[in-house]
Amino acid sequence: MYVELKNLNKRFGGFQASDNVSFGVGKGKLIGLLGPSGSGKTTILRMIAGLETPDSGDIFIGGTRMNDLPPAKRGIGLVFQNYALFRYMTVFDNIAFGLTVRKKDKKYIRDRVSELIKFIGLEGLEKRRPHQLSGGQKQRVAFARALAPNPHLLLLDEPFAAIDAKVRKELRSWLRDTINKVGITSVFVTHDQEEAVEVADEIVITNNGRVEQVGTPIEIYKDPKTPFAAGFIGKSVTISDYGKLRGFEKIEGFESALLRPESVHIMKPQKELYPHASQRGIVEDIFFKGDTLELRVNLDGQKLIAYQSLDGAAFSVGDEISVLIYRLYLLGENTVRLAENRSIKSEGNFFI
Amino acid sequence: MSGLKTPSGRLKRDVIPGFGLSMGVTLTMLSLIVLIPLASVPLVLKDYSLSEFWRVVTDRQTIATYKVSFSCAAAAAVINVFFGVLLAWVLTRYKFPGRRILDGLIELPFALPTAVAGVALTTLYSERGWIGYLFSKIGVKISYTTTGITIAMIFIGIPFVVRSIQPVLENLDPQYEEAAATLGASRARIFTSVVVPEILPAALTGFALAFARAIGEYGSVVFIAGNIPYRTQITPLMIMNKLEQFNYPAAASIALVMIVFSFLVLFGVNILQSKISEISRGS
Amino acid sequence: MGSKAIKIALILLSASFVTIMLILPLVTVLTYSMRQGWRIFVSYITDYYTIKALNLTLLAAAVTLAVNTVFGIFSAWSITKFRFRGKQALTTLIDIPFSISPIIAGLVFILIFGRIGWAYPLMEAWNVKIVFAVPGIVLATVFVTFPFVSRELIPLMQSQGSEEEEAAALMGASGFLIFRKITFPHIKWGLLYGVILCAARALGEFGAVSVVSGHLRGKTNTLPLHVEVLFNEFKLTASFAVASILVVIAIIVLILRNIVEYRLKREDG
Repeated sequence: MYVELKNLNKRFGGFQASDNVSFGVGKGKLIGLLGPSGSGKTTILRMIAGLETPDSGDIFIGGTRMNDLPPAKRGIGLVFQNYALFRYMTVFDNIAFGLTVRKKDKKYIRDRVSELIKFIGLEGLEKRRPHQLSGGQKQRVAFARALAPNPHLLLLDEPFAAIDAKVRKELRSWLRDTINKVGITSVFVTHDQEEAVEVADEIVITNNGRVEQVGTPIEIYKDPKTPFAAGFIGKSVTISDYGKLRGFEKIEGFESALLRPESVHIMKPQKELYPHASQRGIVEDIFFKGDTLELRVNLDGQKLIAYQSLDGAAFSVGDEISVLIYRLYLLGENTVRLAENRSIKSEGNFFI
Repeated sequence: MSGLKTPSGRLKRDVIPGFGLSMGVTLTMLSLIVLIPLASVPLVLKDYSLSEFWRVVTDRQTIATYKVSFSCAAAAAVINVFFGVLLAWVLTRYKFPGRRILDGLIELPFALPTAVAGVALTTLYSERGWIGYLFSKIGVKISYTTTGITIAMIFIGIPFVVRSIQPVLENLDPQYEEAAATLGASRARIFTSVVVPEILPAALTGFALAFARAIGEYGSVVFIAGNIPYRTQITPLMIMNKLEQFNYPAAASIALVMIVFSFLVLFGVNILQSKISEISRGS
Repeated sequence: MGSKAIKIALILLSASFVTIMLILPLVTVLTYSMRQGWRIFVSYITDYYTIKALNLTLLAAAVTLAVNTVFGIFSAWSITKFRFRGKQALTTLIDIPFSISPIIAGLVFILIFGRIGWAYPLMEAWNVKIVFAVPGIVLATVFVTFPFVSRELIPLMQSQGSEEEEAAALMGASGFLIFRKITFPHIKWGLLYGVILCAARALGEFGAVSVVSGHLRGKTNTLPLHVEVLFNEFKLTASFAVASILVVIAIIVLILRNIVEYRLKREDG
């Protein structure tokens, strides 16, 4: 592990911002710290950067303990949420700043900055001031400025928060590709799960100052370890009385269950598969989501969300439909268990 | 908002260098120029008994100066709030030729030396001056009366009120007024129910600043006051008189009363303002 | 009544108030100073004692500007770029000179350096004269205008935030470099604005200086004190002629102030 955090604790007055935080970041990996606001993700980033001192615990970067080193000596590059570009300096001077401070010679600075400007695709804008740049261009400059002194670790605080939705998607893939090209170990903070899933190699989910789960986006999605991780990634509805659903039974210690829309299959009653595993519901609302339809279904008083492809069977509000639920995530105190629809299995046997 | 803000500022490691140096310079200069000199006022009184102190600060002539200073300053501040609101309103809401000049002139009492203002006002309002002459015809004397003192205090206080209210009116979205108008409110109603609550804290601040300044003001008031004991003597002038008699402890005593008083005014306004902002946030 | 009529009435009322309260006193000074003709006016303002007073006024203002600018920059930097306990108390303490009568500002220095002052024996031993001398005038002026620059800078630097400074510090920049390259370009107009306000007040300070000066003509008389002396000697024209120098300075200050304020707003927007 290139970056190692060991049992970090940090309190702000009565507020536990970091509660025994430990995880590692592999060399060259792009890690997303994901959690709701106040979950402690930013505090972790600040402690790695040296902007905040942990009350206890250790921070290692490249095998060296960093706790007592000032931020400037940690070999990190930081991209601020609002970029913090120097507004009275040109693009060139912004990117060159870290090198000027380190008293590199003029020719080296010129070459390095030109190289970076070419790299981020902003040739010709060297003389511009930050206020003459678009949000996306500002982010690229902030990125180049952080990279200029060749840091070993890149930290990004909510890198897409200040950019409007349209450009955001495009920048996400740009940032991902660019970081891969540079090959620099990177950690970014976000509260947007979609962003984390799309950009990060690995996600660290934080909640109430604790690390809930660390893993690749698919791992966390398929195999959430805690109720919070299960609920935070992906869209879902909570079902309190899941024992009533056909094909599932109540298990002691698991008070409620999480149902994801893609685990719900809806059919016209007359075309029903697995009749023993399905039950009847009423379509209450239909939303067009651009590429699919999202249906709100009432199943004996329990509200569900289901997806339907546009070229599938057409439903309208008030229709009676057949609902088949494949699987549920059962939520315990601190554990999550996967439950499959038992009746499909038995019926499946029957068919074969 | 910055994402790198911490939930509370405590125990944050400061990244920006220079705290020790700048704090050191700040505290040293502040102590040398303001704090230590001010602390010398009570120091002078250490050999003074409480009864002596009390006798000096409640002397009949001194009490008369409090009355003059206080009543004139209060009257001037009230008048300034009225004209201050008017000027701030006209300057922020209307476009008219000469608006920028009018706006710039508000600052004149800050820029004009108080002694110059003092001699100019005294001359202008004396019986031979342009305005004093008009009033003397109807038997009203202005220079060397409390009216004159009040006018000088209006002069020096007006920018405080205008400059307190102006930014609030500038930031007050006309949408509120428009919303009230579409709901059928009359202009007077809109002003009292939408505009007044918004500018009230600022108007109070302006009132207090103008009032405190007027109480302590010397240069522009001293000439027009005429220094008639029991009638037009202001408190700062009383301190000056004690100094001229080399009665330093007496001067320091009255000064102490003034210092305490001006702190009380500012303190009271702070409390009042936080109360008002609580109410407006609560609604 | 139509809204147009109200508008005109309010503008007229405002304009009359400003004319009577603010413009007429200015006009009074200028007409009185000229009432014995241009040549007499020139002789008054080029009088030996007037020139002496002008020099002393400029000297006191120059020292004051230097001291208060240094203080303003350091105090604003420490208050806006760092977090520490008692910040609110510190800002309040800095504002004290604003809430204190100029007479008291002068008095405190008499109480320290005057005959009964605790520092009097020390000054005596070093053979330094402060009260009724130039240093006292400078001290009193510095005291009265102490918060001007820092008051302008603090809100400006607060609104700028310190992210840019933090970013620069993270790259290892020194405090001086950060100030020069990042903070200063942002505050330069605000600083100039504060300096102009401070200069205006320093040039015109009367009460505090009047207490410590002793009114020694040609030695410790500043321009405003000279105006007072002449006025009290019933030399009205001479007094107003000297006052007109200060009026011209005030008008220049006002114009400068408006130009700088305009630049300041433009930089902000």
